[in-house]
Amino acid sequence: MSETKTVAGQELRDMFSAAASWLEKSSAEIDALNVFPVPDGDTGTNMMLTMRSTMDEAYRAPDHSAAGIAHAMARGALMGARGNSGVILSQIWRGLAQGLEEKEDFTAADLAAAFQQSAQIAYKGVSNPVEGTMLTVMKDAAAAAQAEVDAGNEDIITVMEATVNAAAESVANTPKLLKVLLDAGVVDAGGQGVYTILEGALRYLRGETELMRLRKPQIIVSDLPHVVSQPQSIAIDEVPYGYCTEFLLKGEKLEPEIIKKRLLKKGESLIVVGDDSAVRIHIHTLTPGNILQFAAKLGTMHQVSIRNMDEQHQDFLEMQKERMPITDTAVIAVVAGDGLSEVFGSLGAAAVVHGGQTMNPSTKDILQVVEATFSDKVIILPNNKNIIATANQVQALTEKKIAVVPSRSIPQGIAALLAFDYEAEFNTNSEIMEKALSSVKTIEITRSIRATKINGLKIKRKQPIGLLDGELIAVGDTNLDVINQLLSRLDLEKSEVVTLYFGEDAVEEENEQINSSIAAQYPHLQVETIRGGQPHYSYIISIE
Amino acid sequence: MAVKIVTDTLSDITSDLAEELGITVVPLYVRFGETVYKDRVEITSEEFYKRLVSEANLPSTTQPTPNDFLQVYEALARETDEILVIVVSSGLSGTYQSATQAKEMVKGKCRIEIIDSLSVAMGMGLIVIAAVNAVKAGANLDEAADLVRRAIPRTHVAYLFETLKYLAKGGRIGKASGLLGSLLSVKPILTIKDGELAPLTRVRSLNAGLDYLCSYAAGFSNIEGLAVEHATNRDDADQLVERLGAVYPKESIYRSVISPVVGTYSGPTALAITILEGEKK
Repeated sequence: MSETKTVAGQELRDMFSAAASWLEKSSAEIDALNVFPVPDGDTGTNMMLTMRSTMDEAYRAPDHSAAGIAHAMARGALMGARGNSGVILSQIWRGLAQGLEEKEDFTAADLAAAFQQSAQIAYKGVSNPVEGTMLTVMKDAAAAAQAEVDAGNEDIITVMEATVNAAAESVANTPKLLKVLLDAGVVDAGGQGVYTILEGALRYLRGETELMRLRKPQIIVSDLPHVVSQPQSIAIDEVPYGYCTEFLLKGEKLEPEIIKKRLLKKGESLIVVGDDSAVRIHIHTLTPGNILQFAAKLGTMHQVSIRNMDEQHQDFLEMQKERMPITDTAVIAVVAGDGLSEVFGSLGAAAVVHGGQTMNPSTKDILQVVEATFSDKVIILPNNKNIIATANQVQALTEKKIAVVPSRSIPQGIAALLAFDYEAEFNTNSEIMEKALSSVKTIEITRSIRATKINGLKIKRKQPIGLLDGELIAVGDTNLDVINQLLSRLDLEKSEVVTLYFGEDAVEEENEQINSSIAAQYPHLQVETIRGGQPHYSYIISIE
Repeated sequence: MAVKIVTDTLSDITSDLAEELGITVVPLYVRFGETVYKDRVEITSEEFYKRLVSEANLPSTTQPTPNDFLQVYEALARETDEILVIVVSSGLSGTYQSATQAKEMVKGKCRIEIIDSLSVAMGMGLIVIAAVNAVKAGANLDEAADLVRRAIPRTHVAYLFETLKYLAKGGRIGKASGLLGSLLSVKPILTIKDGELAPLTRVRSLNAGLDYLCSYAAGFSNIEGLAVEHATNRDDADQLVERLGAVYPKESIYRSVISPVVGTYSGPTALAITILEGEKK
């Protein structure tokens, strides 16, 4: 195959024009990915509209050199940038234009250098860059392009292939970097947009325009475990977002850096980009009036847009609510330890009240969480015998309908939550869940806080001790020793699953040792080891 | 002339049973990569599940073409002037569309009635069997169609999947997605609600799953028909049938294999129990 060593201005325009149409095809799907920074679901549309403006200007450019086209693209993007993602995209084109300065046509090395410039400028435009977004994707893509060039490759198509592959990997990796994405089970929408544009350009260079007409861009799927977010917990985390304020400021001798500094403390998600004659400003603020007043002194304002983000967010919450499984009952659980909180969340608990052994929550603590959930019917899992009475008091303090399923341990709470029946009525559900409590045995391993004699056991201070369903019946020199003693007391023939939740101070080797010891002694059991992160208890074990 | 009955392969009615009942079963298509097979005509269930596990990409399934239905209608129109078509829930497949489009193309006087079962598997299969019995007893097309429509709300399906893995891979499917994301390994139990997969609950052990399915069945006081289905785990299904003997005569329980469409989400180890409740007198 022949190599493509240089690309001229018109071809630069046509390749990104093809990329823009390519992006247009999946803008709706990209909208659906959008969760960061505010789940308003229009990243794909914003990027698409920005690209339209970008390419309109490129076609109007009088100068058909690569530099001339790139500059026109940058100008068009700045003028038409929409939303956060659009503004960052405009920075990418600005970097490209700077990188291709004075070039009639460009080589692979020029392109790689220009992409590097794009990534840098994109980061600079954002007041506090967040990794796991389109910034990261552009940076990773640019680095791959540079690496390919450094390896001696001169073929632009090969370099673009490396760029696009790196972008795809980077997109797939975004949930690892950004928890909101992980929780929502999506990749970053803006990153997906950048990938789609680069991929569209590559396809054009490969001569696949006919194919592009028939196909659609692929949405990258992350291979991470998919954690479905709980809309109720979004409500609890809710913070006021204020107004999304955007406009283009035109004037003379504008200084973007200084404007950025002045606005830095006025709100969130600040982006200030542009040059001395035009600056695009994007900020999430509670006081848009102040921002406009400030800007009015510097020049004229264009394309002013102020949107109430709380409304947008509310719409999003409503949308999420509709997507929720059919049930109108919320389950909340009292849990200590971040790992265990996540386990409860992943199984559908609407919210978690922090607390447990030695840190019993008050009735008010539980009540607050009850009131914060969407549902009017709430089932409470106290997960500790000392919290059951507290939970029972909640009913007297709320209009909501409350049922307390008296779980006395974490394993009991999880068994009850699992048994939740999506089709059952509230009362039936609390009965089903209560019945499930007895389906599980609980072992808790902790350390004695003092020397004592109990149940005929002589216990030294700090010695590992074991409780079976709340009763202290074993002491030993190691955790494993105590666990083995307790397991030997149980009839495990009919059991199938043993789950080991290790505490905040647990050591990995010991976890593995215990896991393999149980698996070796009881080969018919499926043993799962999960990080509970709980205090006090080295291990909480459920047997079912 | 007696009413002829047509259904699709998602009814999980085996070819032997179809022959016995004298009905026509139109196959859906299963696609692995570039190759397309007629469900359970060109690819057996065993082969499907074997490849489901071994291939990197999930298979997909597509509805029969309108032409597939047209050919069936035209062939049957030579023998009868009344055809009753009972197809898989339109919430799960576009089969209803194809069946309806084909009806528009049929020339001649043959009356064709197409009913969206809002169900799948033997849930729909049991309705088909009830319709066959009604026709044998002399029902005409309108009477049989009426019987089917009344039977739809009385069908119940519960699936026990061994893992969430395939459900997660297959992407969001309606309300069943609510079960995804569990940090513990759980076995989901699902039903068909409003024509779509929806969650019932989750269990952690096979025994607990069997317990659930048995008590699910026991929750119906008047069972007209009952079927048990498996994927590759026939032994588990045998065990379930054995235990269901307490609720319903074992020898009357229909047995079948879970279809590729649900199989794509269930994976190779799964059980289904389907029930047709008797009509309240």
